[in-house]
Amino acid sequence: MAVAPAPVVETESKQSQTRKKLALFGTPIFIITVLLATYLWISSLELDSIEMRVLNKEVLTESLMEHLYLTGISTALVILIAIPLGILVTRPSLKRATPFVLGLANAGQAIPSFGLLTIVVIWFGIGVQGVIFGLVAYSTLPILRNTMIGIQQVDKSLIKAARGMGMSTRQVLARVEMPLAVPVMLAGIRTALIINVGTATLATFFGAGGLGFVIFNGIQLNRDPVLVTGVVMVSALALSVDYLAGVIGRLASPRGL
Amino acid sequence: MDFLDYLSRSGDNLFELSLEHINLVLISMGLAILIGVPLGITAHRKTRWNPIILSGAGIMLTIPSLALLAIFVPIFGLGAPPAIAGLTLYALYPIISNTVAGLQSVSPAIVKASRGMGMGSWRRLAKVELPLAWPVIITGVRVSTQVVVGIAAIAAIVGGPGLGNEIFRGLRSLGSPGAENLVYGGTLAVVIVAYLFDAAFILIRRFTTPRGIR
Amino acid sequence: MSTNSTSEVMIELDELTKTFPGQSVPAVDKLSLTIQKGEIVVFVGPSGCGKTTSMELINRLIEPTSGRIILEGEDVTDAQVDSLRRRIGYVIQETGLFPHRTIAQNIATVPGMIGWKKGRMDERVDELLGLIGMEPSQYRDRFPKELSGGQRQRVGVARAMAADPPVMLMDEPFGAIDPITRERLQNEFLRLQAQIQKTVVFVTHDIDEAIKMGDKIVVLKEQSHIAQFASPEEILSSPADDYVSDFIGQGASLKRLNLTRIRDIEMATDTPTGTAHEELSTLRQRLAESPWSTMMILDDQHRPMRWVGGRDLNRANAGEDIAKLGLPATATVEPQATLSDALNELITSNGGVAIVVDGSGVFQGVVDIESILTAVRTMREENSQFYLAQKEISEAID
Repeated sequence: MAVAPAPVVETESKQSQTRKKLALFGTPIFIITVLLATYLWISSLELDSIEMRVLNKEVLTESLMEHLYLTGISTALVILIAIPLGILVTRPSLKRATPFVLGLANAGQAIPSFGLLTIVVIWFGIGVQGVIFGLVAYSTLPILRNTMIGIQQVDKSLIKAARGMGMSTRQVLARVEMPLAVPVMLAGIRTALIINVGTATLATFFGAGGLGFVIFNGIQLNRDPVLVTGVVMVSALALSVDYLAGVIGRLASPRGL
Repeated sequence: MDFLDYLSRSGDNLFELSLEHINLVLISMGLAILIGVPLGITAHRKTRWNPIILSGAGIMLTIPSLALLAIFVPIFGLGAPPAIAGLTLYALYPIISNTVAGLQSVSPAIVKASRGMGMGSWRRLAKVELPLAWPVIITGVRVSTQVVVGIAAIAAIVGGPGLGNEIFRGLRSLGSPGAENLVYGGTLAVVIVAYLFDAAFILIRRFTTPRGIR
Repeated sequence: MSTNSTSEVMIELDELTKTFPGQSVPAVDKLSLTIQKGEIVVFVGPSGCGKTTSMELINRLIEPTSGRIILEGEDVTDAQVDSLRRRIGYVIQETGLFPHRTIAQNIATVPGMIGWKKGRMDERVDELLGLIGMEPSQYRDRFPKELSGGQRQRVGVARAMAADPPVMLMDEPFGAIDPITRERLQNEFLRLQAQIQKTVVFVTHDIDEAIKMGDKIVVLKEQSHIAQFASPEEILSSPADDYVSDFIGQGASLKRLNLTRIRDIEMATDTPTGTAHEELSTLRQRLAESPWSTMMILDDQHRPMRWVGGRDLNRANAGEDIAKLGLPATATVEPQATLSDALNELITSNGGVAIVVDGSGVFQGVVDIESILTAVRTMREENSQFYLAQKEISEAID
């Protein structure tokens, strides 16, 4: 559930362009193909009554909606918390706190999602609310970290040049640092979405439903069609969310970057 | 019952589960290295394969980890195998991308010089490119391991071994006295295992990086 | 192109052509060239003329589209490529030293691949380090990053020579080095070449370097067409066409100072010398008996230290350290340095002369501006044709 580390050298090579094209057109085709294949496979099966209990329109739609709800609310909260906090902590007046917070964010990555989610649910109670708190707790640190690193990466000479032209600290933030950090923040939002889609799969263990319910039912009832349906749905959801966030992110980035 | 009580009574059990956990991570990482490094080399050398390999491995990171582990249950049944398979796939991307990045970071002049001296392509890989890319590759393995240690806690859900079982046991008995201690203990032990791995990597990197590029 | 004694031919290129995929025009078009054993042939031309591509066709780093490569009488166009390359030393501008391997391991790369025994490799490494003036015990186990740029380039040359290949390819080997070190490395390589007599193909874009290093120069224009293939003297005195004379550029006569070396002209060897350990009276007497106004104080290894005059020697009497008197002995050149190098040094020197030292810095004699002018005058008389050509050109400009 952690995020792919940026490779040390990322050259804008032909390969990475092919890769982008592959991602732009290949991903939706891939998702649709897998969904369709699964649908056709399940339709061709004679489902028993146990399978029918889960594999029906109502249950699947409800699980999907629950999953979307958990992901949406927790991501919105994370963005509201982590991004402003990341900007705040990198302000000159708080710069001394930066390494400390970064260290904390790095150290926090060692906490397993399953454990953290369970602990938070123990504190805030079983159910949707506790799980949302858990999701927020788990995804805040990586997003905070990404935002801080992104802002730190804004070319120092640009800031100097802006100051040299007579911009105030606030103007530098608004006109130089923020626009340049936009791609970083968009990447952060995308990451938060993926982490939350993934972690929300565990929500079923805490009485908050989601597509994990379908998967876990499949495991417990020893019904492969149920399990596969759950896996395919949640994977397709994660890939679609990632894809859409990527496309929107590219459109929303300032031009020239 | 307080947490310290629990620790003193379940210490042996936690230690046992930690060993299982470490074992699970080691096996998965070993497989991931055996698969990932050659795939990275292929992606670096056969540029046509590069987008497919990297996108494919990237997808594994996007798929929810429970789904990635669960999909192997129909194939392998419950237990360690689906956990190992899922964790291995999860670990691939950082290893592959860092192998590619490491190989790409080898200066073209060095590659040219070794070709010019008559080094064949495999000898060049073994004697020049991989040693120079090593620090970057080992960093990829380290990142993978961090991720896998955490996700391995989910293995319990597909019947796998490791510390996830302690958390899961606590979760199932929530409400009964002391259940939360199992969750705390299991989680804490996972964090400790993660730090142990990280420390090991710092040492491994230090001692396996050739002196001239340290 | 000479056809007399085929046994002396080292490399023959026969209509060598390279067309890169997706390009309509060949990068190298029917390059034919015969290179004699033991000579340095310099490929020179503006960037993009295909000189590096031409060189890389020889060791087949770039596979030719058509044409033949003949090495020591053997057609190697389709030979096993790695074993071919092991027979050809290769030096590039960026050195391409392996940062993770020691200097000794770097040098022993090719011997290691062709299966030399360890003892033989160790011996060879030490021998080569000695040849390039780097103390083996001190440098053997170091890593490239611990060396200066000049030292790295020396090791690059040693690595190329390790298995004693008959041919060396050098692609702008001194291009990335500061001017002073470059000059020193050029001189060192020429001294080395006098001993080892390799066949060298040398690529540069710098006509001055070409004139200095080359026994023969190939001036190339686009697509590696040969504009002129001749000795440096001939290229300077009778450029084949406007392209060549344009490429030589202004100051062709000054460039001729690059053709003659210190060892070819007469230097003064009667400079009085002494060491700091000698009696002052002995030194004073020696200076008085010579026609010189100053004498050279040498250190224990006979390397030049200070210029001192009679007045300095008198002050030494009053208890001053002789090693701090007079002026430091700057402006040293080696015998294989060119007159151009010497003139450069001389202009900025303390004593108005350039001090000639051998490879280990031992004092040989001095060169003053008179001896350089004499040499230039002889040169002009020897080649009045050149002089006339120059006059015509300058009149045409007027």
